[in-house]
Amino acid sequence: MKQHPEVNEVQEFLEIASDFEDPLEIIRESLSNAYDAGATEVVITIRDSAAGSDIIIEDDGHGMSRDDLKSFFDLGNSRKTDSIGHKGHGTKIFYKSDRIVVDTAHNGSNFHAVMDRPWEKLNEKTLPEYEVSKTDTRPGNTGTRIQISGFRSGEGFDPQSLTYDKIHHYLKWKTIAGSTAHFFDDSQREMEVVVDLDDEIDDTRDQLTTTNQLTFPREQLQPSTGEFPATRMCKHYPPRKIEFEHDEGSSTVEIVGMIGGKDARNELPTYGRHSVQFGVWLAKDHIKVEQVNEVLTHDNEFIHFFFIANCQDLELAANRGKVRNKASSLYKTLKQELKHYMTKIAEDPWFKEDYLETRKRAQLRRRAQSQTTSLEERLESIDTNDQFKPTNRSEVLLALERSNNEVDNSITVKEYKADHEVPAILLDDDTLRTSHVYVELTEHFEDDYPLGSADTILCWSYGDIDILREYERNGYHGGDVEIDLQDNQIIYHHEDRHTVDIITVSDRLAALEHQPLTSLD
Amino acid sequence: MPQLKQTEQTASFQVTATAGDARAGTLTINGQSLDTPTFFPVLSFYGGGTKSSVFGGGVHRTIKEFMLGKEEIGGGTYDKYFRGTMTSVASLTDYGINQERFNDYTSDRIKDRETFSDYNGLIFVDSGGYKFLHNNGLDGSDFEIEIDQREAFRIQKQLGGDIIVNLDRPIAPNDTFDERQQKAERTAENAVEFARLTQTYPGARYLTVHGYNYSMLDRFFDHIQSQFGNIDISTLFDGIALGSLVPKKDDKAALITAVMDCVEIMEERGLADLPLHVLGIGSGSIPLLVAAGADTFDSTTYIQNAINQKYAVSLTKHIPLDAVDFNQCDCAVCSDPKLVNWMQGNTEYQKDVLGPVAMHNLIIHRQEVRELRQRIKQHGTDPVIDYLDETVGRNDSIRKQTHRVVNEALGGYF
Repeated sequence: MKQHPEVNEVQEFLEIASDFEDPLEIIRESLSNAYDAGATEVVITIRDSAAGSDIIIEDDGHGMSRDDLKSFFDLGNSRKTDSIGHKGHGTKIFYKSDRIVVDTAHNGSNFHAVMDRPWEKLNEKTLPEYEVSKTDTRPGNTGTRIQISGFRSGEGFDPQSLTYDKIHHYLKWKTIAGSTAHFFDDSQREMEVVVDLDDEIDDTRDQLTTTNQLTFPREQLQPSTGEFPATRMCKHYPPRKIEFEHDEGSSTVEIVGMIGGKDARNELPTYGRHSVQFGVWLAKDHIKVEQVNEVLTHDNEFIHFFFIANCQDLELAANRGKVRNKASSLYKTLKQELKHYMTKIAEDPWFKEDYLETRKRAQLRRRAQSQTTSLEERLESIDTNDQFKPTNRSEVLLALERSNNEVDNSITVKEYKADHEVPAILLDDDTLRTSHVYVELTEHFEDDYPLGSADTILCWSYGDIDILREYERNGYHGGDVEIDLQDNQIIYHHEDRHTVDIITVSDRLAALEHQPLTSLD
Repeated sequence: MPQLKQTEQTASFQVTATAGDARAGTLTINGQSLDTPTFFPVLSFYGGGTKSSVFGGGVHRTIKEFMLGKEEIGGGTYDKYFRGTMTSVASLTDYGINQERFNDYTSDRIKDRETFSDYNGLIFVDSGGYKFLHNNGLDGSDFEIEIDQREAFRIQKQLGGDIIVNLDRPIAPNDTFDERQQKAERTAENAVEFARLTQTYPGARYLTVHGYNYSMLDRFFDHIQSQFGNIDISTLFDGIALGSLVPKKDDKAALITAVMDCVEIMEERGLADLPLHVLGIGSGSIPLLVAAGADTFDSTTYIQNAINQKYAVSLTKHIPLDAVDFNQCDCAVCSDPKLVNWMQGNTEYQKDVLGPVAMHNLIIHRQEVRELRQRIKQHGTDPVIDYLDETVGRNDSIRKQTHRVVNEALGGYF
């Protein structure tokens, strides 16, 4: 006997509605639906009241018939075939609320539908119901108004967080309001999007008005003047359609984009961290879905690029958050095509020679300026009467060479390899000596270097004598250590006895005046 | 400096179309014309063998049988792939022959021999500079010949080269500045002697130049010019041969730089009307170097690949011989059941397995270069750009270099 697998309808609604968390996704769905309904204007109103929040979306599209309305509430029963919301999942986000009211005028009829407590009922394992009433209206009177009351996002919907800025950026980055279709299709219908927020939510302006088109910052091929001349540079790369073959057939990718400096990029809306939103975006319905910055070669920072690559054969997850068919030959070939095309962009002489070079030159100039400033400061701070005092190992060697003028025995540096543990080889009275080099002798012990690895420790001065005394008192590396400052020697007893000579450069420079310490005590 | 001048015009080069820096033209030598860009397959006319073996030489022998349309390979017409061939003075003793045989090889011009009497393509005879840099001469089994400019030219003349070059001292990537100067000086001295010796030579005379970038090449030309004094070298030579690039053959960026810079210097020095030959470079580099302005090429890769059982499907792509579906190719070799049977291993000698593969590889080489030539002759740079994009541009390792050539030599994409 053949049997049909069963579907738990309530659970299915819950699962799908749970895929959507962000109240802004209500706006995304509504805008797509409005566009599909032929709307030229959509008004989104968000009200915050003690009784709960309301999100109201009104459009002047052709409205819904009774069947359309049924699809609106049904699951997986979309009447659309090739439009944005054809899966029939998106509107299920509305179920995460206390009340849905739909008024829609279509062909002389006005349908009024109400669904009460949908989310509560789903969670009680009951399928929510809706009631539809029909009245007559003028035939020319069309449009849809959807009111969602008490939306529940994952962490509770706080309308106060929905500022104009945040909504604007979301619209341009994630919805049809950020569509790049107009670059490829001159006849793309323009739709005005108006957002009206309660003053309680955001009173910085009366309302926000935008369109369903993403545009790039004004092109500026030449550098500006000033310290950061490349930062407003911007070049548009014209729309390109590329057809490509893959195992499942052939597809088309439509790419458009820009390269620009920070100031140019700042003129674009922001969604998330501004610095990570650039690069190359895959899009479907000309709405950005996810980044594929790996199609840019590793030697190019993605931050300079903003390209949208639209392919209608991409399949998206139900919430449109990511591409679903990544294992397909289509996806792999698409990425190869993008890699190929993006290399052309990255190798464009304007980018490589004009823009990047301008940046680089300015950076070098700034560095040179800062070096000059610091050099001036250093020159000013030098008092020619001050006694020289080294601050690093190279300066200790410089001081050693100077000390040769003051003392009878010359010690010269035959070799210095700064990155070696024993960095110096000195020539002292015809004898080559391997030597550590420190500003202060204490550093040798603090750095925990063994005492047997060189003949000599060259230092400017001893440093803190008491620290040396502590090492003498407590031993070093499991042996006894005797630091004889009178004879400038360190004697180390472990299994063998090893002597290390100390050369203190400050003593050599002040040979006549200096009275060496006789002991550490 | 004695007066030097070419007494008779035996060679000419006419540019007929350009696309950016790429050019298509006609090279005419001794009444025979070649359309450029073109590829000269390297082959060994005397592979240590005798007349009855078409002068021996394994795969080279089978290639010569193709060239001559011999019955052994079924007698097909392949001569159109051999309208220009390259051989080297240095190849004469590759097989350790004795002096008697050497004397035989150099006793008559190649084309005057009965064996090669049906062959009427242009023969480019390289001086063998690269080989002679390492051992000073021709080394046979019982003789050695020290090679200097006079001797190199004598052999080139004996072989009847339609294009000959001066004896050069190629540079190596790790040469010091001083070493390069010494080599440049010696090459320049040879160039003067070559010009003097070849004043009445009935063929094209090419000047070899060496360098990896503008500065090196410019200095090299300075050495040459200082040897020639006030004489305009464009009146003495019929072409420029850029050498020393074989060690860099896998470094496409270096090859492109060398060719682009050489083209720039030739323009600056009034040599832009001469054809530019790139010595020892073939395969996937050709489209990039044609775009950069080179006109002719030679290499042995079509044979080397065959010896390594590699069958060409394009200039950049080869597949292992045992994985080939010969039905996919409609070239004359792959359309001949007998030759396909040979390539599948059903013949006694390995040379007959690999010879047809080498011939097929050469056909692919020539077809691609022909296609490139057609694209240059079309209007604008787009046909060439599209060609590069569809071929070498699809190869990950040279895609960036393709874009570079498009940007620098063909006007760019945007």
